[in-house]
Amino acid sequence: MSTPLLTLDAVRGGYGEADILDGVSLHVDAGEIVVIVGPNGAGKSSAMKAVFGLLTVRGGRIEFDGDDITGWTPDRIVRRGICFVPQVDNVFRDMSVHENLEMGAFLRRGDLSAAYERVYALFPDLRDKRRTLAGNLSGGQRQMVAMGRALMLEPKLLLLDEPTAGLSPKYMEQIFQITRDVRDAGVAILLVEQHAKQALAFCDRGYVLTTGANRCDGSGAELLADPEVVQLFLGGQG
Amino acid sequence: MDLYEFINFHLIPGLLLGAIYALGAIGVTLVFGILRFAHLAHGDLLTLGAFLALGVVTFSGMDPWFALPVAMLLTAGAALLIDASCYDYLRERPKILTVMASLGVALMVRAVVQMGWGTDPTTYSTGIVRPTEYFGSVLLRERELLTFAAVILIVVALEAFLRLTRWGRAMRAMSDNPDLARLCGVDTRQVVRLTWVIVGMLCAAAGFLLGINTEVWAMMGWWALLPIFAAAILGGVGRIDGAVLGGLVIGLAEELSVLVVPAQYKSATAFVILLLVLLFRPRGILKGKVL
Repeated sequence: MSTPLLTLDAVRGGYGEADILDGVSLHVDAGEIVVIVGPNGAGKSSAMKAVFGLLTVRGGRIEFDGDDITGWTPDRIVRRGICFVPQVDNVFRDMSVHENLEMGAFLRRGDLSAAYERVYALFPDLRDKRRTLAGNLSGGQRQMVAMGRALMLEPKLLLLDEPTAGLSPKYMEQIFQITRDVRDAGVAILLVEQHAKQALAFCDRGYVLTTGANRCDGSGAELLADPEVVQLFLGGQG
Repeated sequence: MDLYEFINFHLIPGLLLGAIYALGAIGVTLVFGILRFAHLAHGDLLTLGAFLALGVVTFSGMDPWFALPVAMLLTAGAALLIDASCYDYLRERPKILTVMASLGVALMVRAVVQMGWGTDPTTYSTGIVRPTEYFGSVLLRERELLTFAAVILIVVALEAFLRLTRWGRAMRAMSDNPDLARLCGVDTRQVVRLTWVIVGMLCAAAGFLLGINTEVWAMMGWWALLPIFAAAILGGVGRIDGAVLGGLVIGLAEELSVLVVPAQYKSATAFVILLLVLLFRPRGILKGKVL
């Protein structure tokens, strides 16, 4: 078995004194979509932020593509090939769609026309809106700008924090479809979702976290069929 | 009062003062947008710029207008120095500390100016007074024309820099969403330094233009601080176009106020406008950030 692209090994940490993560382990292989689900306060987003250096890690190891990136600063991690799309405030509102993409490519030099073409091909809606201020777009389109911005650096791994939060079912399906397209273009994806059922149905593998630690994991279908998972927090969603 | 009197003694001086306030307000707006604090030393940095231009004129004997670019560079250097020595280590602390530090910087800069050049008002060029030029019956002095030209040139150049260059966009991005700018790999310390270079240059230009149209003295910037802040807030903090608009409105309002209230209340105009804006439209005409 090949080495995973990203590995979290018994990661503990938090923002202040208290630990939110109490030993989270997971891995993401190249070319797969991995989803983290769990009830509110389970540490889903914190696990993702730990990867990106936005949270103080007090124990465990985070490895990416052969490097130990535990404790790296976000800008160093960006350069190494991981891009992060936050859940909220994930676009530059007073800048046009195209300028948002330009900011995404801030660290890149040279001819970027291929990168723009790639992003506009993934998000055809954005091509027509390239001169529109991102702040004037709908929630779904804004999410596309945020993902497009992150893809401009052509990362190896994309982290998405609740990309479908607050979106209509139509946009949710569209975002999932685009996420699959991004994976097929060779970018591994780790995402956090509250729409657990839909997310497990579309991902390659999933992890269920409760109270800052692993509860169970497996393929999406396995988890959906697991009575414990259903019992835990899927029941309400039928 | 006929139309020409209105144009020559109220409209043109109002626009002139407004254009100068605009340059000051752009600086205030940039500092607030990117560094997130109200820069109380702005007025005295403007004074320093005016006196550095005076120093260049006295030292080299060159035409004051040619001394302006030199003074802009010198003031940019001073702004960088002030940031590195007084504001930098407060960056991660509550912003009110930096605001208070900037008040201290204001007093220190003014003291330096007073030690260097004294407290008496002076002018850039003495002796020769150029004849006044008339366009029809509209009176426009050479320095006034040059002032308008300089302000337009500076604003256009700044807008072009912010819209078309990589680092200009990084500045706008950091003003828009600093966390996201960091996620894009922007070195925020570099953006901060760049901001001070631009702000220093803007201060020098505003100070010089104020000085060449009135007089150069140690309190000139301090007295301009309130109208400049009023202009930035009126236009919408964080917005360049807002700062220009706000500057022109405040300048005009000050000069036109003498038509309705006694002249000694002129400088109260900006204060009244500031109060009204904060009460009824705190985000300004063009919807900027809340100060």
